[in-house]
Amino acid sequence: MTLTQILIFAGLGLLAGRLYRWLDRAWLLFAASVLAAFWLQPASFVRNLPYLLPLASLGLAALVWALTLPRRWNRQDAWAAGGLTALVLLVSASRFVEPLSALSPARPPGLELAAGGLALLAAAAVLAYRLGRGQAAWLNSGVLLLIGLLVALKSPPLAQATSAWLRGLGGQDPALASTLDLGWLGFSYIAFRLIHVLRDRLAGRLGEVGLRDFITYIVFFPALTAGPIERVERFVPQLQPGFVLDSAGLLAAGRRLLSGLVMKFVLADGLAFFALNPVNAWQVSQPLWMWLLLSAYALRIFFDFAGYTSIAIGLGQLFGVTLPENFTQPYRKPNLTQFWNSWHITLAQWFRAYFFNPFTRWLRGRGAPVWLVVLLGQLSTMGLIGLWHGITWNFLAWGLWHGLGLFAHNQWAQFAKARPLPLEPRLASGLGWLATLVFVALGWVWFALPQPADAAHVFGVLAGVGR
Amino acid sequence: MKAEIISKLNTYITSEILKRPDKTLSATEALISGGLIDSFSLVDLSLFVEQAWSVRLDDTELNAETFDTLEQLAGLIEARAS
Amino acid sequence: MSTPASPLRIVLKAALLFVLVNLLFAAFDPMPALGKLSLYNGLLPGRERLPYGDDPGRAYNLSLYSLKAMFASHQLHGTPKAANEYRVLLIGDSSVWGYLLENKDTLTSALNAAGLQAADGRRAVFYNLGHPTISLSKDLLILDYAMHYQPDLVIWPLTLEAFPLSKQVSSPLLQHNPQRAGALILNYDLPLDPADSAFVRQDAWGASLLGQRRNLADLLRLQLYGVLWAATGVDVHIPEQVERHAIDLEADERYGEFLPPELPETALALDVLAAGIQRAGETPVLLINEPMFVSRGANSDIRYNSFYPRWAYDQYRQWLQAEAERQAWHYADLWQAVDNDQFTNTPIHLTPAGTQQLAQQIATALAELFDLEKK
Repeated sequence: MTLTQILIFAGLGLLAGRLYRWLDRAWLLFAASVLAAFWLQPASFVRNLPYLLPLASLGLAALVWALTLPRRWNRQDAWAAGGLTALVLLVSASRFVEPLSALSPARPPGLELAAGGLALLAAAAVLAYRLGRGQAAWLNSGVLLLIGLLVALKSPPLAQATSAWLRGLGGQDPALASTLDLGWLGFSYIAFRLIHVLRDRLAGRLGEVGLRDFITYIVFFPALTAGPIERVERFVPQLQPGFVLDSAGLLAAGRRLLSGLVMKFVLADGLAFFALNPVNAWQVSQPLWMWLLLSAYALRIFFDFAGYTSIAIGLGQLFGVTLPENFTQPYRKPNLTQFWNSWHITLAQWFRAYFFNPFTRWLRGRGAPVWLVVLLGQLSTMGLIGLWHGITWNFLAWGLWHGLGLFAHNQWAQFAKARPLPLEPRLASGLGWLATLVFVALGWVWFALPQPADAAHVFGVLAGVGR
Repeated sequence: MKAEIISKLNTYITSEILKRPDKTLSATEALISGGLIDSFSLVDLSLFVEQAWSVRLDDTELNAETFDTLEQLAGLIEARAS
Repeated sequence: MSTPASPLRIVLKAALLFVLVNLLFAAFDPMPALGKLSLYNGLLPGRERLPYGDDPGRAYNLSLYSLKAMFASHQLHGTPKAANEYRVLLIGDSSVWGYLLENKDTLTSALNAAGLQAADGRRAVFYNLGHPTISLSKDLLILDYAMHYQPDLVIWPLTLEAFPLSKQVSSPLLQHNPQRAGALILNYDLPLDPADSAFVRQDAWGASLLGQRRNLADLLRLQLYGVLWAATGVDVHIPEQVERHAIDLEADERYGEFLPPELPETALALDVLAAGIQRAGETPVLLINEPMFVSRGANSDIRYNSFYPRWAYDQYRQWLQAEAERQAWHYADLWQAVDNDQFTNTPIHLTPAGTQQLAQQIATALAELFDLEKK
């Protein structure tokens, strides 16, 4: 989201706050979220992609809804389906109506493509509803499809190939394909929300959610770009009528929004001027300067992400939706385990719920020794969290770095429990804080630099050896 | 009933997880967000709960939001066991 | 207990406050004072040349318009003149600034490396005040400001491109300093129009916080880029591939708006040159006719290079020589001081080796004219 887009959303929140007597909030958020999915999607060099990607987001959401619905569809769902179709066609019609053209970053394709795409998605949704609703095989296939899409988008060679294929379909030169073509706005978050719903349906825990609220949950505009990954059973009840934007709510939301804007657009963007990157990594040969660049990177990535989350939460509050916290002062924690309880919380919790816990349970059930369970559990979970950011060696290395760190901290904690250190608790916790901070900062070297040679060079300079 | 569950949980957590059998936890102490129980011990705790009360804690429930204190966990167990 | 305000009133109050802050900003005009605030020469080392950047993100350097901020970031500003310092300022265009050259390869660095000493034993220290636009008036603007730093000598390399009156006000630095430029025009009675529409004047809106946001951001960015300048010593981005200047030329006899046979002296900014020497006052100024590439390719009988047809440049050289003699200016014509293969993307930008050649020639001139000798 750009500053302008954020301000427009905030203005909409203020305006809507005066109108809830006449305006249904759930329908408003549904319509705004669907339109915003198109509006926020960045432009792409591949023809029609800025239109087709949001359409695919909405289509996948509808498909998963049809697969997981624990009841029969009702009249409100029919209205939602009609509304969705109308909104998608409205964006497509912006091709012809000048004032509407602001809805989409690029000229949308003709109505026939939009209608065709919609018909295809409707057929798939009806098929899923009739044949596969609630069936394990279909639900599992849905999970696999989403993971497959994530892999195709996040692995540079596959993304390159996918882009070339899409260019070929649209009659463009495949040789110009780039991994940057496939900037599918928010897909990492959308896919994880959808997998969460599918898994919960498989476990029989999913409550009843109508199509309107389900779509809003998946593409809720404040959380579309950068999360957080909310849980459906927490989100949907908040769309119930009765919300009033009073002055206390407005002040709280405004404060949250403002602190997010400062973190993102002042602190993070300011620190970006001298944060570590693959170019300046080779221009610096003094250890102290390198530590400064690395510290700037560590703070920048925090302020950028935490700022964005704060903006999302503030915007959510303006519309009466409380999104979950994603960061709770992670750099002030005395150990790595607590760091990961307060850094990108909703992603870490997602992985705990749908990977780490079942995996550990399974290993424990087979009587594996405790230390091995902890090691395997942490390495695999953190490795996957790394790969979620992009399927490249450096993100995997970053994840494994933290997996090993968490294992080491677990072992140390076990050891220290039996023999309390002869240290004053405050000093011990201070030392723990420093060690954690340094460990996390060194981990960012992997995250910031795609090439292992760059990372090795930076580690060398930080340690004061080699140049 | 609830007091009994709390006491049993207390014994298990202090002896098996914290390795400090002499310690007593308060019923409202933050276990997860306070950093006393890590994610691995949480799975062990859920296995223990399953064994002791035949109550299943779902993988998605092992977090500070569902329960963070002995009081909350005991409440959950009580509600499901009945 | 206070009654809760309505959301609408909160928004209105915020908007009112915003307008008020903007009006106050415009009324007090803190930009000049802010320009002096600088992390350079304190927390960060001063820059070795004036801020300028075509590619700020890679050069850790950017172009801005506040002379105060530009000088505040320069090492000259943070270096009190020592008793044993013989201070030499270099002003001029991009070839002085060192376009496509690292700091260690600029003309200033080459002159400093020569280790020159004045007759009274003071050590000659050279400062790079070049700025990459070609205009004598822009040079005058910088010289006027730089005289506060007590130079003992000014070196002013020149080329014909800096002379046409029609080009004087085309430098953005000059356009965005209309008050200083206007004062210079009036004080020295220059043949330029202080009301020229190219000058960017500020209205009330432009003076507000909102109107000044670009300039404020520039000030801030200049400080922020300072960190990487300090950490890396980089202040210019040199692309790996640089397109060389043309060797084969068009059969074009025109020089800008001028046609052969005569380059009218009235269309050239000789007065600006004289004003600069007058502004320097007691401080001597060494004028140098810059080296340039001389083609032997196609149509080189018509043109010297892509900048100049032969007829115009020849007249300019003769005329500058005659004028220097008439007014008793210190002048060295070094137009062929550098080998022909030592020019980069334009006929006046030099390679490091070419810069060394020029520095040696200048050192010779300094020895002859000002008794600056290698010790």
